[in-house]
Amino acid sequence: MGGITPDQIITAVAAVVGVPLVLLGYIILGEQVIERLPDSIQGWIRPYFWALPAVGFATIFMIYPLIRTVIISFRNAADSDWATGPWGVFANYHYFFTFPDTLTSLRNSLLWLVFYTFFAVFFGLVIAILVDRVRYETLAKIAVFLPVPISAVAASIIWKFMFDYQPPGSTQTGTMNAVLSVVHHDPVAWLVNSTTNNAALIFVGIWTATGFCMVILSASLKAISSEVLEAARIDGANEFQIVRLVVTPLLWPTITVVGTTMIINALKTFDIVYVMTNGAYQTDVIATQMFFQLQHNHNSRAAAVGVVLFLAIVPLLVVNIRRFQQQEEQR
Amino acid sequence: MPEVLARRRSRVVALGLGAMFVLAACGGGGGSGNGANSGSSTDVTVWTAWGGAELKAFQDVLKPFESTSGVKVHLTTNRDSTNQIANGIAAGTDLPDIAPGPTDPNQVKDWVSKGAIKPVETALGDQFSAYISNTYPALTTAPGGATDDLYIGIVGGKHYEMMVKTQVKGLIWYNKKVFTGQAPTSFDQLLAISPSQYGASKLFCAGFESGAASGWPASDQIDNIIMRQSGDQVYTSWIQGKTKFSSDAIKLGYQTFLKEVSAANVYGGSNTALSTNFAKAGDPMFKSPAGCLFLEQATFITAFFQQDFPSLNLKAGTDFDFFAHPSMGQSQYDGNVNGFYDNFSMYNDTPAARKLMQYMATKDAQQIWANDGGTLGAIKTLNYTDPVFKRAADVAGSAKNLLITAGDFMPSDMQKAFWQSLLNVTNNPGSLNSELAHLDQVQAAAYTTS
Repeated sequence: MGGITPDQIITAVAAVVGVPLVLLGYIILGEQVIERLPDSIQGWIRPYFWALPAVGFATIFMIYPLIRTVIISFRNAADSDWATGPWGVFANYHYFFTFPDTLTSLRNSLLWLVFYTFFAVFFGLVIAILVDRVRYETLAKIAVFLPVPISAVAASIIWKFMFDYQPPGSTQTGTMNAVLSVVHHDPVAWLVNSTTNNAALIFVGIWTATGFCMVILSASLKAISSEVLEAARIDGANEFQIVRLVVTPLLWPTITVVGTTMIINALKTFDIVYVMTNGAYQTDVIATQMFFQLQHNHNSRAAAVGVVLFLAIVPLLVVNIRRFQQQEEQR
Repeated sequence: MPEVLARRRSRVVALGLGAMFVLAACGGGGGSGNGANSGSSTDVTVWTAWGGAELKAFQDVLKPFESTSGVKVHLTTNRDSTNQIANGIAAGTDLPDIAPGPTDPNQVKDWVSKGAIKPVETALGDQFSAYISNTYPALTTAPGGATDDLYIGIVGGKHYEMMVKTQVKGLIWYNKKVFTGQAPTSFDQLLAISPSQYGASKLFCAGFESGAASGWPASDQIDNIIMRQSGDQVYTSWIQGKTKFSSDAIKLGYQTFLKEVSAANVYGGSNTALSTNFAKAGDPMFKSPAGCLFLEQATFITAFFQQDFPSLNLKAGTDFDFFAHPSMGQSQYDGNVNGFYDNFSMYNDTPAARKLMQYMATKDAQQIWANDGGTLGAIKTLNYTDPVFKRAADVAGSAKNLLITAGDFMPSDMQKAFWQSLLNVTNNPGSLNSELAHLDQVQAAAYTTS
């Protein structure tokens, strides 16, 4: 695989130039045909005609793979026959819900779902409300937002250094343990110790996500008219009551959207775990488990994991889309 | 593999969308692409997984061959060669003339039965007997006169993998300025050495962290215990999934391994062993006062000693040295040595391919590998300027069986569980029984669904 072959260049050019050309040809030629049709049919057929390429793309690249994944999840490892074993064709699901490793990953994904989502949204909200009241708001927001554009892999490597462990008595090169050594506490092997490692990983996730939550919530906060808040103050509410009884309810639709997005992020967490521990010491999550199954040629098990993950996310997508629709209607 | 799939997929995408353009592009198709026609006596295609210094050494080896034989070598670094060759065999498309043989024993058997790999006997012709007598016997002879040893490419008494390089694992390294005593001959003697006598704090150093492959250094340690403690037959049947992890032999191996990483014996305790990268594991040996006396690791580790302490200007043989893994008290198994090797198989029987295979089996060719450093050749009588490799060659030469590294030949999910179990028991020795029971479960699942 040394270098790019002429073959690959031609393929790339064909894709870059060919796709728009073909689409353009489709529209121009298609419109000419449609224009010759009777008016009543034109109005009926045109939306379908224009939507077809998009629907086609979605079918080829999303709906077909989805159906195929569901089918594979009921097949055996070699994809030569339907799966057999405990639970019959559901053998891969039986594996997922009974094998200790996958159960650990399920437990950890639940931990991620609860703690990552809660703290990312909570800190995002608190920071958004606090910085709203200070003069150096932009600066503070930039500081909190900085981790967001960092790729999760880079963030994980940074935090691997932060959590670094050196034997007791030697100089601690990891920031966290250096802090502990200042108060004469023994260093903690954050990523090895099974009471701290999941918390440490989730913390890194929160660190990267809080900025995102803050920006969205802050934008929504700015949309609350100052008259409402002034009215509350005149009525004698203190700042804490205003946040609790006025601001939070008004922000609730946004909090739901941000929260569901965070839940989806939590469920599909992969890179932080993969880079920092590779799932060792009981830190596996569902997505790493799916990857490992695929890597170990258990395609049907990986498909089953994928289907479970998908089914877990669908309700959240529905909630999210409903919220968006409601917001659209309110406008 | 993902790269290949991605490329294929992108091609499918392009095909579907820019049909007219792609028709022109598709003429070439997949395959080897380097286009040496079968039967060529002037061109040979070679795939290797090597990059960097290893690739440069191979290019050095090929240089004199190209200039004297007039054969042009089309060399490609391909880290996915096994999968691509498997696809090529299945699809009946072009294969490289020469590439490494597969490591998976099932693949070895399958490819040989399909005639995809040509015997080394055919490739070397009348030079074959010289190859056998020159090369470390452990690399060319199935133990106990068996006709099959899939781990070294022997099927039905014929050889399908030609060995060119080897490395020895399980060597016990030490700082010569700190440890001045006699090399222990038994494991009990090794454990009885008092580190404080030499001014070191602990007996062993260890570093099991290695990113996504964390745990492999620990697996090398337990491999070297089990093969010397319970013998090559148990060791091999364990790799094949026929011996359970909870069996007495493997459990004893784990218990012995735990002595090496116990809080009393390992520098910094288990947290340090688990948190330290393998490349830095030996650093405490060169600190003052020394953190530990010994580090068990393969021949390659010397480069890291030198790299981690540039100011000390460490020299092999004068500043650091090694002794071979001590006996586990079962003298009949003392000849079992853990190593790994690099091989080439011939996939197309062409005059040019034969010429290159014959050349790589010569002492002249392998001496170039030895001169470039960092590895042993497969031939017993090469000259090494590096005193460490000179002695490592003795260890390889004294080996009755050169046994492969267990995890590398287990199914990949078994390997991962095996490596992680070593991390878990190091972390919590009390979990040994439950870890072994879990490994039995993984073993039952991993070997049946292939």
